Amino acid sequence: MAHSFLMSPRNGAKFVAIVDDDDSMRGALQGLLKAVGLSARAFESAEEFLGSGDQRETGCLIADIRMPGMSGLELQAKLNAEHCRIPTIFITAHGDEEMRLQALRAGAVEFLPKPFDDELLVESVRAALNR
Amino acid sequence: MAFALRYGLALISVAVAAGVARAFLHFHLPQPFAAFALSAIAITFWYAGTAPGVLAAVLSSLVRDYFFEPDTNIESRVLYDLVFLIFAVLMTRVARARDELEVRVAERTAELTQSNDNLRREIAEHNQAEYLTSQVFESSPDGVSIVGTDYRYKRVNPVYGRTWGMRADQIVGMHVADLWGIEAFERKNKPFLDLCFTGANVSFAGWVDNSLGRRHFALSYSPLRSDSERVEAVLVISRDLTEQTLASEALRQAQADLAHASRMTALGELTASLAHEVNQPIAAAVTGASTCVRWLTRDNPDLEEAREAALGVVRNARRAADIISRIRSILKKGESKRLLVDINEVIREIIALLRNEADGHTISIRTDLDASLPKVLADPVQVQQVMMNLIMNGIDAMKDLDQTRELSIRSQSAGDRELMISVSDNGVGLPRQQADQIFDAFFTTKPHGIGMGLRISRSIVEAHGGRLWAADNSPRGASFYFTLPTKVEPL
Repeated sequence: MAHSFLMSPRNGAKFVAIVDDDDSMRGALQGLLKAVGLSARAFESAEEFLGSGDQRETGCLIADIRMPGMSGLELQAKLNAEHCRIPTIFITAHGDEEMRLQALRAGAVEFLPKPFDDELLVESVRAALNR
Repeated sequence: MAFALRYGLALISVAVAAGVARAFLHFHLPQPFAAFALSAIAITFWYAGTAPGVLAAVLSSLVRDYFFEPDTNIESRVLYDLVFLIFAVLMTRVARARDELEVRVAERTAELTQSNDNLRREIAEHNQAEYLTSQVFESSPDGVSIVGTDYRYKRVNPVYGRTWGMRADQIVGMHVADLWGIEAFERKNKPFLDLCFTGANVSFAGWVDNSLGRRHFALSYSPLRSDSERVEAVLVISRDLTEQTLASEALRQAQADLAHASRMTALGELTASLAHEVNQPIAAAVTGASTCVRWLTRDNPDLEEAREAALGVVRNARRAADIISRIRSILKKGESKRLLVDINEVIREIIALLRNEADGHTISIRTDLDASLPKVLADPVQVQQVMMNLIMNGIDAMKDLDQTRELSIRSQSAGDRELMISVSDNGVGLPRQQADQIFDAFFTTKPHGIGMGLRISRSIVEAHGGRLWAADNSPRGASFYFTLPTKVEPL
C-alpha cells in the first residue's frame, strides 16, 4: 500500500493526492506538504489512485504526466468523465507548450515543470483546497 | 635376304671358287679348290643361312668330285665329302652362334636403349625439378635462406636480400650474427637454429628491429638433410607481415571507433528520456532542500524533520550522480574490461536507464530473472550496449501497436556452460523474407537507422563466446536470444 496518512485533515475531509511513479518524487512531495501542514496521500500509479476509492475525499491532486500505464492526462480525462472534479496540478519534466494548453483546457489548475518552484506549488495547492 | 638371292649365292660362290681354281690350274699352279670351296661354303652359311650353306657344301662336293678330282678313289672322295660335311656342320654351329649373338646383342641394345631413355628422362625431370626449385627460390615472394651448421648463409633469394637492402650474393657466406647483430643472434636466431639442427621444425612470429626499421615477421625453420640422416642446413622462410598486421590493427581500431559511434548515436537518440531520468532525482532533491529550509525557518524549527529532508536531498543527489556515471560509462571509449558480473544486476541497471523511454511509449517491461545464475566473465558496458540495442529495437517494434505493449526480459540457465537472456516483444515481428539479414551490416527497417546495431551486438556476444539469434514470437512479435558462457567455479 503506497498511500499514507501523515496528519489528520484540517479543512473538512480533504486530502492532497500525490500520483507519481518515482519513489523519490513521492517522498519529496510528501515531505514538503508535511512541512506546510497539509495532509497527503501518495499513489504509485493513476490506476492505484482510481482503485483506492479516495477520489471523493481528495481536495487536490498532484500528478506526474509520464507514467507507465495510464498517463497523468489520461487520469484527468477519466476523472472528468466520471464528473469527479478534483483540482489538479501537473508536475512533469516533459512539458511542452501544447501539452500545457491541453492540460489547462481540460481543467488543470497548474502545469509545472520539474524541478519546480516549491513556493508556487504550495500556493497552488492551498488555492485548490480552498475552492 | 630374298630366296633366289640366298640360293643364288650358294651357286655363285661355288661357281666362283670353281672358276678361280680352274684358273690356277690353267697357270699350272696347285689347285686350291678345296680351300676356295670351304670359303664359299662359309660365306654362304654366313650371309645366306643354313639351307643355302648346305647346298653350297653339297655343290662343292659334287664340283670337286666331277670337275677337279674325277679320278680319285672312293675313300678320298668320301674323306673330302666328310670334310665338307663336318665343315658344314661346324658352320651351322657358327651360324647359330652368330644368330644367338645377334639376338643377345639386340636384346642388350634394347636394354641399353631403354636404360638410356630412362636416364634421359630422369635427367630431364631432374633438370625440371632443379629449374622449378630455382624458380621457387628465386621468385618466391617470401624471403628464403639456407643457413649451414656454421651459422653462415649458404644461399639466399632476392627477396631476402631486399629485406636487408643488399644483393643476394653479398649475403652468401656471411655469418648470421653479422647481418642481425650479435644480440639478436644470441637471443633469437641461434636458439631457433640450434633447435632446428636437432631435427625439429620451428616457427616464430614477432616484431623484429633491423636496419630497415621495425617489421613484423613470420619465420619458419625446416631442417635440410642430404642423403645422410644428419641435418646439414636449415631452410628459413620468412614472411613480412608488417602491412597485414598494421592493417588488422587499424581495422580493429576502426571497429572500436564504429562501436563507440554507434553507442553515441543510440545514446543521442535517448537524450530526452535520459534527461528525464536524471531530472527526477534532481527535482526531488530541490524539493527536499526547500522543505528542509521551511522546517528551519519556522518559529519553532523542527531539527528532526529538517534532518530527514536534508538526508533525502543527499540520497537524491547521489542517485542523479549515479545515473550520470552510468551514462558516462556507456559513452566511454576504450578497451573492453571483462569482470565477473551478476548478469541480472547488469540487466536491471540498463532497464532502469531505459525505463523512462519505455514508459513514454506506454510499454511495460516485465522481467523474469533467475536469481540462481552463476556469474559471467563479461564487459558489463558492452553487455548493456547489447541489451540497450535489443530493448530499443523492441520498443520501436511496438510503437504503433494498439493492444497492450509488453517487453519481456528473461534470464535463465542454458545447460551448465551457458546462460541465456531473451528480449521479447509483441510488435511487428521479424521481416518475413529477410530474417537472416537483420544481423547484416547496414540492414535497417528504420527511416533514420544506421543498421549497425544488431551487427555490433552480435560481434560483442560472439567475442564473449556466445551466440545471438532471433526467432518469431507467438502470436506476434519477435524474440532475441543471446547466450554467454558461465564461469566454471573451481571445485
